[in-house]
Amino acid sequence: MTSEITGAVLVVGGGIAGIQASLDLANSGYLVHLVESKPAIGGVMAQLDKTFPTNDCAMCVISPKLVEAGRHLNINLHTLTEVESISGEAGNFTVNLLQHPRYVSLDKCTSCGECAKVCPVDTKNDFDEGLRDRKAAYKLYPQGMPGAFAISKRGTAPCKATCPAHVSIQGYIALIRDGRYEQALKLFKQEHPFPGICGRVCHHPCEGECTRNDVDQPLAIRELHRFLADCEKNSGTFYTPGITAEKRAEKVAIIGSGPAGVTAAYQLLQMGYSVTIFEKQAEPGGMMRYGIPEYRLPRDILAGEIKVIQDMGAEIKCGVSFGRDITLESLKKDGYAATFLAIGLHGGRRLGVENEDIAGVLQGVDFLRESAMGKKPEIGNDVIVVGGGNVAIDVALTAKRHGAENVTLLCLESREEMPAWEHEIEEALEGDITIVNSFGPKSFFIDKDQRVSGIEFKTCTKVFDENGRFNPQYDEQVCRPFFCDTVIISIGQSTNLDGIREQGIAISRPGGLEADSVTFQTPIDWVFAGGDAFYGPKSVVDAVACGKEVAESIHRFINGLDLREGREKNWEFVRPETFNEVKKDRVKVNCLDPKARECNFLEVSYGYNEAEAKSEADRCLNCGICSECYQCVDACLAKAVDHGMKPAVQTIQVGSVILAPGFEAFDPTAHENYSYASHPNVVTSLEFERLLSASGPCQGHLVRPSDQREPDRIAWLQCVGSRDINQCDHSYCSSVCCMYAAKQTVIAKEHSAKPLDTAVFYMDMRTFGKDFDRYLTRARDEKDVRFVRSRVHSVEPGADGMLNLRYVTEAGGIIEESFDMVVLSVGLSPVKEAVQLADRMGIELNSHSFAKTSDLLPVASSRDGVYVCGAFQGPKDIPQSVMEASAAAAAAARNLASVRGSLVRAKELPPELDITGQPPRIGVFVCNCGINIGGVADVPAIREYARSLPYVVHVEDNLFTCSQDTQDKMKAVIRETGINRVVVASCSPRTHEPLFQETIREAGLNQYLFEMANIRDQNTWIHMDDPVGATEKAKDLVRMAVAKAVYVEPLHQVSLPVKPAGLVVGGGVAGMEVALGIAQQGCHAYLVERGDTLGGNARMLGETWQGEKVAPYLQSLIRQVEDHPMVHVFMNSEVFETTGIIGNFTTHLRSLTQEAPDTVVDHGATILATGGHEYKPTEYLYGQHREIMTHLDFDASLEKSDPAILNAGIAVFIQCVGSRTETRPSCSKVCCTHSLKSAIKLKKINPDMKVFVLNRDVRSYGFREDLYKEARKAGVLFIRYDVKQPPELVADNDGRLMLTVLDPILGRSLDMHPDLVVLASAVLPNENRALFELFKVPVNAEGFLVEAHSKLRPVDFSSEGIFMAGLAHYPKSLDESIAQSQAAVSRAMTILSKPEIWVGGVVATVEEGRCAVCLTCVRVCPYGVPHIRHEGHAVIEPAECHGCGICASECPGKAISLQHFTDRQIVAKTDALFSAPATPAV
Amino acid sequence: MVVAIHLERNKKSDFMDKVKDILPDGGNLSLCLTCGACASGCPASGLEDMDPRKFIRMVAYGLDDEITEHPWVWMCTMCGRCMYVCPMKINIPALIFEGRKLWPREKRPKGILGSCDMALRNMSCAATGVSEEDFRFVVEDVLQEVRDTQPGWEDLQAPIDKQDAHFFVSQNSREPVKEPEEMAPLWKILHLAGASWTYGSQGWAGENYCMFLADEENWKKIATTTIEKANSLGCKVYLNTECGHSTYSVWMGQKKFGIATDLEIAPMVKYYAQWIREGKLKVNADWNRDLKIQFTVQDPCNHVRKSFGDPLAEELRYVVKAIVGEENMIDMVPNRSNNYCCGGGGGFLQNGYKEARFYYGRMKHEQVMATRASYVITPCHNCHAQIEDLAAHHGASYRTVHLWTIIALSLGILAENERIYLGPELQEVNLPQKGERDDDK
Repeated sequence: MTSEITGAVLVVGGGIAGIQASLDLANSGYLVHLVESKPAIGGVMAQLDKTFPTNDCAMCVISPKLVEAGRHLNINLHTLTEVESISGEAGNFTVNLLQHPRYVSLDKCTSCGECAKVCPVDTKNDFDEGLRDRKAAYKLYPQGMPGAFAISKRGTAPCKATCPAHVSIQGYIALIRDGRYEQALKLFKQEHPFPGICGRVCHHPCEGECTRNDVDQPLAIRELHRFLADCEKNSGTFYTPGITAEKRAEKVAIIGSGPAGVTAAYQLLQMGYSVTIFEKQAEPGGMMRYGIPEYRLPRDILAGEIKVIQDMGAEIKCGVSFGRDITLESLKKDGYAATFLAIGLHGGRRLGVENEDIAGVLQGVDFLRESAMGKKPEIGNDVIVVGGGNVAIDVALTAKRHGAENVTLLCLESREEMPAWEHEIEEALEGDITIVNSFGPKSFFIDKDQRVSGIEFKTCTKVFDENGRFNPQYDEQVCRPFFCDTVIISIGQSTNLDGIREQGIAISRPGGLEADSVTFQTPIDWVFAGGDAFYGPKSVVDAVACGKEVAESIHRFINGLDLREGREKNWEFVRPETFNEVKKDRVKVNCLDPKARECNFLEVSYGYNEAEAKSEADRCLNCGICSECYQCVDACLAKAVDHGMKPAVQTIQVGSVILAPGFEAFDPTAHENYSYASHPNVVTSLEFERLLSASGPCQGHLVRPSDQREPDRIAWLQCVGSRDINQCDHSYCSSVCCMYAAKQTVIAKEHSAKPLDTAVFYMDMRTFGKDFDRYLTRARDEKDVRFVRSRVHSVEPGADGMLNLRYVTEAGGIIEESFDMVVLSVGLSPVKEAVQLADRMGIELNSHSFAKTSDLLPVASSRDGVYVCGAFQGPKDIPQSVMEASAAAAAAARNLASVRGSLVRAKELPPELDITGQPPRIGVFVCNCGINIGGVADVPAIREYARSLPYVVHVEDNLFTCSQDTQDKMKAVIRETGINRVVVASCSPRTHEPLFQETIREAGLNQYLFEMANIRDQNTWIHMDDPVGATEKAKDLVRMAVAKAVYVEPLHQVSLPVKPAGLVVGGGVAGMEVALGIAQQGCHAYLVERGDTLGGNARMLGETWQGEKVAPYLQSLIRQVEDHPMVHVFMNSEVFETTGIIGNFTTHLRSLTQEAPDTVVDHGATILATGGHEYKPTEYLYGQHREIMTHLDFDASLEKSDPAILNAGIAVFIQCVGSRTETRPSCSKVCCTHSLKSAIKLKKINPDMKVFVLNRDVRSYGFREDLYKEARKAGVLFIRYDVKQPPELVADNDGRLMLTVLDPILGRSLDMHPDLVVLASAVLPNENRALFELFKVPVNAEGFLVEAHSKLRPVDFSSEGIFMAGLAHYPKSLDESIAQSQAAVSRAMTILSKPEIWVGGVVATVEEGRCAVCLTCVRVCPYGVPHIRHEGHAVIEPAECHGCGICASECPGKAISLQHFTDRQIVAKTDALFSAPATPAV
Repeated sequence: MVVAIHLERNKKSDFMDKVKDILPDGGNLSLCLTCGACASGCPASGLEDMDPRKFIRMVAYGLDDEITEHPWVWMCTMCGRCMYVCPMKINIPALIFEGRKLWPREKRPKGILGSCDMALRNMSCAATGVSEEDFRFVVEDVLQEVRDTQPGWEDLQAPIDKQDAHFFVSQNSREPVKEPEEMAPLWKILHLAGASWTYGSQGWAGENYCMFLADEENWKKIATTTIEKANSLGCKVYLNTECGHSTYSVWMGQKKFGIATDLEIAPMVKYYAQWIREGKLKVNADWNRDLKIQFTVQDPCNHVRKSFGDPLAEELRYVVKAIVGEENMIDMVPNRSNNYCCGGGGGFLQNGYKEARFYYGRMKHEQVMATRASYVITPCHNCHAQIEDLAAHHGASYRTVHLWTIIALSLGILAENERIYLGPELQEVNLPQKGERDDDK
């Protein structure tokens, strides 16, 4: 280890394990970095409905932990983050974290949800397991911490990435789908000024990349924005972008009013510049006006979209020729700061064939221009068009419309090679144009009038060479004459450079303008060039893209900025999976009938109507998830949305690492026989949790997914993705499924209004945890849940959404049943990302891809300083995860003890203002909550109403009261106005009360001088349609809050010093681990053992279940305990007396063997590890024959190589001796594993030995299933017996044993003469009644200690400061005992690490004189806090009180009151509700 | 009266040990969790008060005496549906196969035994006992008749022992014996596909009853004869006509007995699909566009679950949809690799346990009835015979057809006399044009 140690810990994974580990560490003096890949912490537990075995609501249980972790000063929460790399070693690691963008600022987001409301994109809600949709802007779940929203993105959509102008295509499509056409148009026009023009003429490269190509046909993207333009046109007004930039003095000249020029103007105007466009022709538009025929682009559309820039302030001067009327020099002189040459390609390209200039031979561009100018071009009846591009086709169709009878288009290229777009070629064919391919012109025929009369064409054999370059080859032997009266040449365009060269403007080699390809700057720095004249003939959208770039360059040039910096953007995109996508045909566009097109220039395409547009928009696959429609940006009044966020890497230093990335529910798709992927009514158990959950897709109203009908019958299939080496490779048991299935059956019945039949099909019922069997029995006997021991072969879809199951009973009968739903109890799979994480972390995984650990170091990974906990270490339930999380925290802290407290932050608070004797001065802050409140209720009216209330001296309303700036303002107001009580009328105290309390405390007010009125969650959200009523109700609520605020008083907590020592009772492994752990953290540990040896049951154990030797470990542990200077061992001693409260106990220890005075120890925490022992059976002739033994007997005999074992021919293990009985309903948990290990040993000793395990269920949970498999493989036979028909063991007169048991499969009894019978007898808690009474800790009916909460506080007692570990809590294996001991260390250290603890606040207080000692409070307190001793009245220790108020409400003598909820306060509040306010006396 | 089981310390389970020695990984036999998935999905569960789980259990207890000569081993078709979902992947079919071997050869079901012995009489390997000469005669006779009576097929070929043909085609001997005209559609299909193919004069018969008989020596002998013949002709692909067990017997026999060959052993369906995809068989479903006759399809266990898996099942559907129309093909539930065995395999059709066979087949019958299809396409001879039998037994109206019949129908090359399995409504449909044939040759 390096000398430098960092007092911080990295915790990876924000599930319950990660949260618990973080809280323990943060609460014991370490800085925690909690890393979570999702946008909120909570993990799978947050998705669950109820938790077993208490049926507590999972969310209710976890949510205080979420809040605590989310707001903890010493937990740095890194959401949407993953660990990229780690270096260094234990004590000092350097970790790189990669944080993915949230696109919503955590600091600014107030969680109001407006972004989600306006988001048009629906995507699968993963939190609801895909059972419903959510928006792309979302909160993982309502209670999620941090509360900020997030936006889901999957790169940029391919359409947007491909569009040269990068229009948010997916965005406007999403908005069209939503019927928000204006916003859609506005979005389009942010990037592109010509929705109508491009909606008609764009070559739409976007459609080529549309992901729908993989499914059917691409979306009609072009038609959709044309639809928007049509809507705009029909509305009569054109959308003109508002110019928000400040008006600037600089002027820009643009030469040419084509698409590039106009776009540049459009952009520059928005930046505040003045723009003048100089156009040579009579009308603006460039090629759009003079090159594209009217039937494709109607003139009014063009004019309308150009007029927008004039409305924005651009001046367009037509008929001005550059080089003649104006020059660069004149422009300079006129004060133009920059010039953009966007002059286009208005000249034709020549064939280079003799006689090209004779009469009747025209140039295509000239022809189109003339036509566009309204002139009637002189053409004959037989027209030949030379060329194969789009322009040639325009020429041909225009010629046709001008009355030519026969139009033939001839080109070099074959049909496939033609550069014209396919749809244009088809339009030409529709227009009766004859297309002749693979010919090149050879010579013109001239008639007597010297007019053209035809051309001879030669065969073109090849157009492109090997390198794909244009290099036509001809076969002049094969020629063909074509006769005509007009030839129109349309093989390309050229720039007219008249008047350009002369000004010294650089010309490129191909004859265009020369400029930089990125900045478009020409060698003359203030002159820029773009459009066709720069890069050759391209489409309108390319010109738009160019115009935008030029505008940016000119802006930078004028402002003296770097022209290049950050210009080249990589537009990468990711396509979604289209595997299951349903085919939807592209909506066809209606067109003018081909016959009706003759001799007119009416527009051919009709475009989409609204229904067609919506239907087409509905085909969009939302490739990018977020469509980048930016509606959320506008909707967010807190300005929290930022679509430009980038991934960020952060480097942190930590001393230890805890990995808790959890698990992934098994995906049963591959089990095709269960019909999961193909039938909606087959769901996974996690999906079923969401179906049951009140916050789930059907609000907890249980219905079948297929038809929303309430089910009558539901089946659960166990072991899906567990205990299977055939269809999946998860041979292990997932440990939790039996219990959660039992829970789901019970909850489902509770959710169902009618009788619900529930059946669980299983192999072994593995309810091995504390109180689990009790739960199972109750489900079966009281709730009529059917538990069927059978593995169903297939789930067969039947009629009416029903699912048919055919199964065999244990006795062999075949039964067929139909169910409404089938729940697949899916197992816990290793998380793929976690496997990669393990690799990056350099830790080993086991053969099942879970973290590899040893039994004796249960939370240590293979890398020093890196610890693991939760389901990442193996499938396990929540209590075990929480226990391990605390254990991992203790392990992680062990080596950091020397730097504890070095990195933690503490808040510096000003001294509290003394308000004693001051009359109430109340400030009321009414929140608009964006529009959440203000959009419904009349906030100013509420504010003014508050002003009228008694004692109110200050009122105000804010957009967001919780935003940082408002908080700062609130502090200032408190200081300036002398307010001594604060009322906030806003969202919910559930989420925001601690924040406001913190704020007023920072301003010097006691935190309890605060009251909140919930006018959002309980008012504007539910009375959205009744603004008047909501306003009135808000007033009522504010009046009530103010009424109570009058009476609120400062409450003070008092500090008590903590005694930094722990008392540990019990000298077994658990007790020793705890004592040593506490000592290693620098505190004294007093270890009390009533016997004369240390080690407890471990002394009798040979090895752990994974085969690690126990003896060396135990010896080492004892040595360490005895040698550690901070551990003080008291052998042969008992606790005689104990008093005190958390942090401050005093205990008397008395020796059992010596007459000596008591030892008195002071300690801050107590840990009970009093252990358990093996049950000595009264059943099965135990004690009467030496061949009949318990497990511990067997282990001891085996150790001595007892011939009774070695020579046995038949050995029988009988399970559940003394367990799972009526009087002792618990499973002893360890015995199945023990029997399996022993049976395997016997088979190793003698493979021919017949070994039988008579069991009720084989409970080899988790990876212990490997042992079960190994035993079967070795030939051990497992025979299940029924508790009602247990095996019979008798001895004959010779003492020969005879065992009879029924084989349930064959229905036949088996009898045998066993040579060895091993009884798997129960684990019982040690008898400690007196001790437990001394500590006032509860035990259950079986004598095991009862924890504070079976889910989340598995090592705590409800009495604060007392903890438990080991067998006294419940039977457990050695590894679990060690983990629980380490957990107890961690929990104890959260107290012992503090110099003092603060007690008081919202606690119950007793008015001594009124106490009648009736014991009511003692009985009703769920935490066992009130006690009545020598004082003669009830005493409630403020340090222990949880502030629940039950005693206060039950106390018949009104002797108890709950601070901050006193009668006077509550009465004032209720009075205020029903009466008009009067000034109360204070 | 249920007899108790006495377990003694020295008694061994010889059968279990023997089978475990034979199978790779011991067939996982001792891994049984007694979960019942096998028995839940097995159509033979309940026959003779037996099911797969009970059978394994008895084997595990070493009740070899009770297992020996147990009739249930002949009622299990070894279809493998148990093993398909068994969480421990226990090779139950192999266990049953070994269970059949516990019967003295002469006591095994006469029907199977006779067919096996018949196949061993000459090198044809035909269970019907047809000799090489008879086969050659029938083939040539049928060929001549087609050439003479069906215009456009004058150059149709049906070669025997054509050296270096690409495909070695096996022929179930039922056709040459019972319904020779059924061979012609296949020849025409091969012709249109431009396939280079041949029959072998030896080992031409595509059946193997010795496999059903659990007579490994002679299973191997027959498989070896036919593979070696194909080798000697220089063929590349051993192409089984539509027969599941024969495909399996050669495919599995080659692996099991290590018969040396470079041949690809392939089911016919794969090539039907390939030829349709390549445009060699220009099939379409136009003939059924208005008729809307509904078809379902049987996935033979030997072709799909036990050997080529779901990919072949997909090919089968591709072919069927192409020839009857996607909307006219209705799948049975369940299907593909999880399909129910019809009860025709494993020698069930020949072993004499007729009542048991109908009991077994009820699952298939119900499946077919649920589809309401008029025709069941069965690319397997045993499935064909059993399903036809089931319809008759239950008085149901669905018919059973080979794939070749419907392919030929859709191609318009199915002659009048090749329609024996078609109902009256299809006798006149898409008949070949009299006079000339329009193909791409």
